Amino acid sequence: MAKRRKKPARGRLPLKGGRKRVLVVLFVPSVERDGTTPIEQGRWVDAALEMFARVFGGATAYPKAKGIWRDDERDGALVKDEPVVVHCYTTPDDIEDPGNLAELGSFCRTMGRNARQGEVGLVIGDEYFAIREFSAE
Amino acid sequence: MKPHLDMNKIALGLRAERKGHVPAGAGYFGAMQLLAEIEARFRVPVGGGRATDPEWTERRLVPLAPRTLKRLEAITDGVRARSGVSVEPMQLAALLLEKTTEQLNEDEVKDLVTVRRRASR
Repeated sequence: MAKRRKKPARGRLPLKGGRKRVLVVLFVPSVERDGTTPIEQGRWVDAALEMFARVFGGATAYPKAKGIWRDDERDGALVKDEPVVVHCYTTPDDIEDPGNLAELGSFCRTMGRNARQGEVGLVIGDEYFAIREFSAE
Repeated sequence: MKPHLDMNKIALGLRAERKGHVPAGAGYFGAMQLLAEIEARFRVPVGGGRATDPEWTERRLVPLAPRTLKRLEAITDGVRARSGVSVEPMQLAALLLEKTTEQLNEDEVKDLVTVRRRASR
């Protein structure tokens, strides 16, 4: 007997190219790794949005969050940062595509190098990835 | 349903290091909650060095062979010389332990222990 095809629920039609259910999060810092020198954050946020749109189809940058933390390796100096969080939804196939990963990794290394970061952080799915080696390809 | 992703493949493609699980939520509040967790757990000390994970609260004496310690020292010296990242040999050991225990399953542990026992007879 032929199986009856289930009708997609109203308003939940599958997106072209599979459901975008993998969340990718990029943190764009506001200061260099010395904790005081500001970086061109707006430029990096725009560049990140453009990269995500080109590679994965779109992204959202959330308003700045204010953060502060105590650096115990510098006599408890307080370091202030106002990072911008960029969210992008994509498909499992697109995030595992080697070309897309190379482009995303390359962007992170360029930002880390030019904005003098100690680390560039990315969350993919529910895992945190750190990029600390910023040499050009 | 949660998508199954090959995190090792992703890390390799990005040339990134897997650091651990985080609760990534949607929307503004999800973004802010995630940011707070990342800053607390994975922040990079300004003076350089490896990010300190406050979850590393347990301390144990772990016996190891001199050649293993030498290998750890050689790797960390290489990392320091090439990328300027300062990491102690036992910090690297702790990282390897954390990473490996997340990936090991019971069968692999059984095989590993059996092989070691046979070798020590």
